[in-house]
Amino acid sequence: MKFSQLDAEEREWLDSYLDGTISADDFDRLQERLLANPDLRKVARSYLSLDHHLHSEANESSDSGTMVSSWGSTSNSTDKKVTPFRLPTLIPLAAAATVAFLLGTIVMYWSGKQDQQPAASSENISPSLQKTGPIAHGFAVIENLFDVQWQSPESSFQQGDILGAEEIQLASGTAEIQFFSGALMTLEGPAQISLKSAWEAICMDGAVRMKVPPAARGFKLHAPSTEIEDLGTEFGLVVRDGHGKVEVFDGEISVRHKGGDGQLITKGVALDLVNDGPVVEIRQGSVTVPDASEFGRRVESEAKAEFERWQKHRDALARDKRLIAYYGFDRGGADILVPNLAVPGNPEFDGAVIMAKPVSGRWPGHKSALEFHRPGSRVRVNIPGEFPAFTFMCWLRIDSLDRQFNALFMGDGYETGEPHWQIREDGQMMLSVMVDDQRPDPRVKDSRGHHRVYFSPSMWDLSMSGQWLHLTSVYDPGNRQVSHFINGENISRQEITDDYFIGNLKIGNAEIGNWGEPFREDPTFAIRNLNGRMDELAIFGEALDAKEITGLYQSSRSTRQ
Amino acid sequence: MATEEDQRYELFIQRFTGCEQDLRRFIRSLIPTWTDTEEVLQQTAIVIWRKFEHYDPSTKFIKWACVIARFEALAYRRKMARDRLVFREDLFTLMADEGVEELDDHRPDHDALLECLSELPAKLRKFVLLAYTPGVKIKELAEEAGSSSAAYYMRLKRLRRQLMNCVEGKIQNTELLS
Repeated sequence: MKFSQLDAEEREWLDSYLDGTISADDFDRLQERLLANPDLRKVARSYLSLDHHLHSEANESSDSGTMVSSWGSTSNSTDKKVTPFRLPTLIPLAAAATVAFLLGTIVMYWSGKQDQQPAASSENISPSLQKTGPIAHGFAVIENLFDVQWQSPESSFQQGDILGAEEIQLASGTAEIQFFSGALMTLEGPAQISLKSAWEAICMDGAVRMKVPPAARGFKLHAPSTEIEDLGTEFGLVVRDGHGKVEVFDGEISVRHKGGDGQLITKGVALDLVNDGPVVEIRQGSVTVPDASEFGRRVESEAKAEFERWQKHRDALARDKRLIAYYGFDRGGADILVPNLAVPGNPEFDGAVIMAKPVSGRWPGHKSALEFHRPGSRVRVNIPGEFPAFTFMCWLRIDSLDRQFNALFMGDGYETGEPHWQIREDGQMMLSVMVDDQRPDPRVKDSRGHHRVYFSPSMWDLSMSGQWLHLTSVYDPGNRQVSHFINGENISRQEITDDYFIGNLKIGNAEIGNWGEPFREDPTFAIRNLNGRMDELAIFGEALDAKEITGLYQSSRSTRQ
Repeated sequence: MATEEDQRYELFIQRFTGCEQDLRRFIRSLIPTWTDTEEVLQQTAIVIWRKFEHYDPSTKFIKWACVIARFEALAYRRKMARDRLVFREDLFTLMADEGVEELDDHRPDHDALLECLSELPAKLRKFVLLAYTPGVKIKELAEEAGSSSAAYYMRLKRLRRQLMNCVEGKIQNTELLS
């Protein structure tokens, strides 16, 4: 059993046990479960062991004064540095001096959500083990962003990010945060908000509009010196320099100022939340907060401009001579063909859509995508020819990784020279090419097929569900390497050794989003449709380099991705 | 000319440092905090030295040391048993018994972790290791970074889970390929 297969609450308990923040009740529950379940004990020991290894690595790094500098970009477990002789247990730890130094630098290290960050947490529960359905941790989601600058790039978020107890620090621009209680917050920067739960947030600074439907009545927003409880309404709060003003646009709210009794205020009333005295009623209209309909219009006009920019990118890319095929998936309706956009066009390479559904793409209302949610969904292609290398590149929105292997682009028979590009259930990208389909495979009894799967580190977890990602994998026999990229950034590079070398690559009959001719019939092996949508796929017959891949990501992305 | 005592001490140091990490890891699986783990380890070292002349070199040193560590951890546990985070005794026994069984299994996960750490972006690697540096308080780190402890723990948790995921993936790959 793996850590990611535990119940969400079991994982939470283990984390808070490690951090020493577990509550007495949860600790009792954790102990009950541990006593009853040997698998859980084993995973718990592995997690404690990870905790130990991290502790000892951190200890070594700080002892030797070479904090993390001994880590190369490519790792090799055998060249691990030798532990210098020391007997820390017999000597009291003298870490205080280093702490002072480290604290000075923490601001640099403190990082918020990484935009490239693969697999921030790991919620990918194996389908067979799902009891209550997958749970993404957090209680709010970034619904929309417009023209946003974050206080620091390390604490930036993307549209679709699931939020837990975090700080939102906007330098400028507008963000819309949907709480899972139903409350909707529109926030204009500069702003600093601390999220507490689906029912509570603190506004330290900024202009906020709250829209609270009946189901979310009781949502609390704290301003300096004042607690505002929403009784099903729409109101605005502006906090500048620690001083707040509130105005009710519709319905009513309860205001508790400086710990006093709740005071009901209704539509049209505005209050100055004076820090060192009672609240003062002020003129209606003095609180200026983001306008929701104006926000919608701006988002729409931005989407249109970005879509037009993408069309230019598409037209330029379509003329790249290295393209084997290029699919935009941007035809909706009853079309059963996905045209190959590569110029000069070869309609022979058009794809046939089977069961896959046209859905909204990256710019809803402008661009469509194909969804492979139903198990039979696929796009079939037939691409003859031989190629010296492959680069697969797509824009993909993963809803969840339901299968053990989730197909992106799969050669039908997986015969010699044919590729398999897919994502494993734990979020690792996989690219492989069959090296020799006649040579016995020693790993599987009575099986043939000599090949190697090149995995990336895990780059996805359920908290990223619904986000658009740019994925690229390169099979490059010329340079003897296979590499994977997410959002233009290289996340792994592996060598093709002599034994796994193959120079003549083919495609033939193949499928996008599924696998046409699985060797075995057991469903966990054979069913590989991808629970997600794709809105662009380019296949090159050559290896693109990292710089080009980053460039193509940049020119095809939306500012929200 | 080294005395017999000197020679024995040298041998003790050699043996002890050779398995210090394994011992710490074993104790950590039974004891709730790092400070307490270090204390138990220190106590264990002293007892091992006291009893070193009774050690039978034909048995595995680490197994022998774990028996002592377990005893010390249990004594410590009883002393602080009112602390709500201490494993109850039946669970403690199970964890200790099973932990000894697994002593030989953990090299691959250490190697895998090193690989996984090296694959993390440098900034995040520093973040994790800093949070684990002895003496560093999460609360202070969070304050220094202008963030709440809760947000900081959340970040740390995400990264730790990501590493766990990566380690398990690598071990699984090794098992598949070997």
